[in-house]
Amino acid sequence: MAFEITASCIGCNACKLVCPQKAITVGPKQYSILPHRCNECVGHHADPQCASICPVETAIVNAEGRALNPPGSLTGLPDERKVVALSKRRARL
Amino acid sequence: MGELLATQQAKIETHPCYSKQAHQYARIHLPVAPACNIQCNYCNRKFDCSNESRPGVVSKLMSPAEAVARYQKVKMRIPETRVVGIAGPGDPLANPKSTIATLKAVAALKHELHLCVSTNGLNLLDHVDDLKAVGVDHLTITINCIDADIGSKIYPWVYFNHKRLRGRVAAQTLIDRQLAGLKAAADLGMLVKINTVLIPGINDHHVAAVAQEVKRLGAMLHNVMPLIAEAEHGTYFGLMGQRSPTESEIAAAREAAGQSMEQMSHCQQCRADAVGKLGQDCHADLDDDGSSACGTSALPAAERYIAVASQSGVLIDQHFGHATHFQVYQLTQAGIVRQPDRDVDQYCLGSTECDDESLNQQQRMSTLISSLEGCDQVLCSRIGMGPWQSLEQHGVTPSTDYAMQAIDEVLAIEWQRFCENSTQGTVSSEIGEVC
Ligand code: SF4
Ligand code: SF4
Ligand code: SF4
Repeated sequence: MAFEITASCIGCNACKLVCPQKAITVGPKQYSILPHRCNECVGHHADPQCASICPVETAIVNAEGRALNPPGSLTGLPDERKVVALSKRRARL
Repeated sequence: MGELLATQQAKIETHPCYSKQAHQYARIHLPVAPACNIQCNYCNRKFDCSNESRPGVVSKLMSPAEAVARYQKVKMRIPETRVVGIAGPGDPLANPKSTIATLKAVAALKHELHLCVSTNGLNLLDHVDDLKAVGVDHLTITINCIDADIGSKIYPWVYFNHKRLRGRVAAQTLIDRQLAGLKAAADLGMLVKINTVLIPGINDHHVAAVAQEVKRLGAMLHNVMPLIAEAEHGTYFGLMGQRSPTESEIAAAREAAGQSMEQMSHCQQCRADAVGKLGQDCHADLDDDGSSACGTSALPAAERYIAVASQSGVLIDQHFGHATHFQVYQLTQAGIVRQPDRDVDQYCLGSTECDDESLNQQQRMSTLISSLEGCDQVLCSRIGMGPWQSLEQHGVTPSTDYAMQAIDEVLAIEWQRFCENSTQGTVSSEIGEVC
């Protein structure tokens, strides 16, 4: 039972500050969750803390790879708009 | 509210954000607070937070120790630095440990300084005593509304008490905590400024009520700021076509709010990474950093020119559109040589972002590009979408990758990269800013 952090993470550090298990680490390139430490917050809180504060949809997934904050769930943006935003930004990077 | 105490008056007079007369004092914002605990619809945490600078990538996370070192570096160059602020890139009080540690370490230097914090207010009540204890005397809280129905159109969620709250509950929680925090801070004698983002159709009819309430709770000053919403920023408001207020709407809102709160009109919407004096450049003299020519003729082969937008003269800390001059450096195999600065006409004049397509803007862009003639790269802290594209079309590569990093360190990195890419030359990695 452990969650994972995906490439959409922006490295805001919020999850690390609220994890009761100290399961979140910062590698040279990415944030990640130590599987042997993460217990999905069972026994601490009703909701997994990392997924409750993370500002980025799809940055945190469960063991099956399903996003805890699926697209649209945090921004409320309709999907087509978001695709536009993403592709524009990519052109800029 | 009665008369201001003399000590309060003195605090205001030397603070650039509070007093129009205090502009000879400079400020630095230390970006030690990447996390946030709420979401605002005018902010895109993913790309480019609209209140503050872009959240750093992992390697750029700044520790309190690094922040203090940065402050000392800037203070040496700009002795008038009298204000140290923490404003983001997320919310300082969602990162209470690093915020307080940074403030403590700066306070321990015993410089004559104002310590400031800007917050969304959600966690203020929990930390107001700590802030007071480390000597924070200026506090800014962004309060956009005092009505949860309005708030639910501005804040999609709030993380509070281990839960992600949504809708009306989220907004009500935030508002209650903001107002309670405001009162506590004012009661402790802090100078509290309130920022309100003016969002047409959402809270424009409501700013007078906000002003009245924050006045009652002890706020000192009110800053009604226009919403900045462009689709390119990828914010909810930007993408949904929410418009920014017009000049006359801003004036009307300030007038209405001004009935109960003193209004601030000279705000430059400083970012979390700001360094220097408000609205003007600090020409910190760096001529010892690159002017000594050093055998540039030895290897005539390739060369590369890099322009840097810097307000402090030390860090890459300026928005492209705010630059009035660029430092230019020539990179050759032999090393890095500082070139004469290029003076330019500031591209961005209004309080809006620089994506404006107006003719004027286009003309300014083309003169700007000719001023940057010959430069291969422009380094700046932020840049609008429009200028970014124009620069690229003219063969100049803009980059915000080094935002807030020290110019000399960045040049060393770029120089090394240049050497690796250009010829066979093996070069020692032991090179600082100049040869
Ligand atoms: S689910 Fe809980 S324990 Fe696991 S990483 Fe997230 S916050 Fe930590
Ligand atoms: S809260 Fe989300 S975006 Fe921020 S560091 Fe954690 S996983 Fe990354
Ligand atoms: S409080 Fe600041 S960092 Fe947090 S979402 Fe709002 S604007 Fe962005």
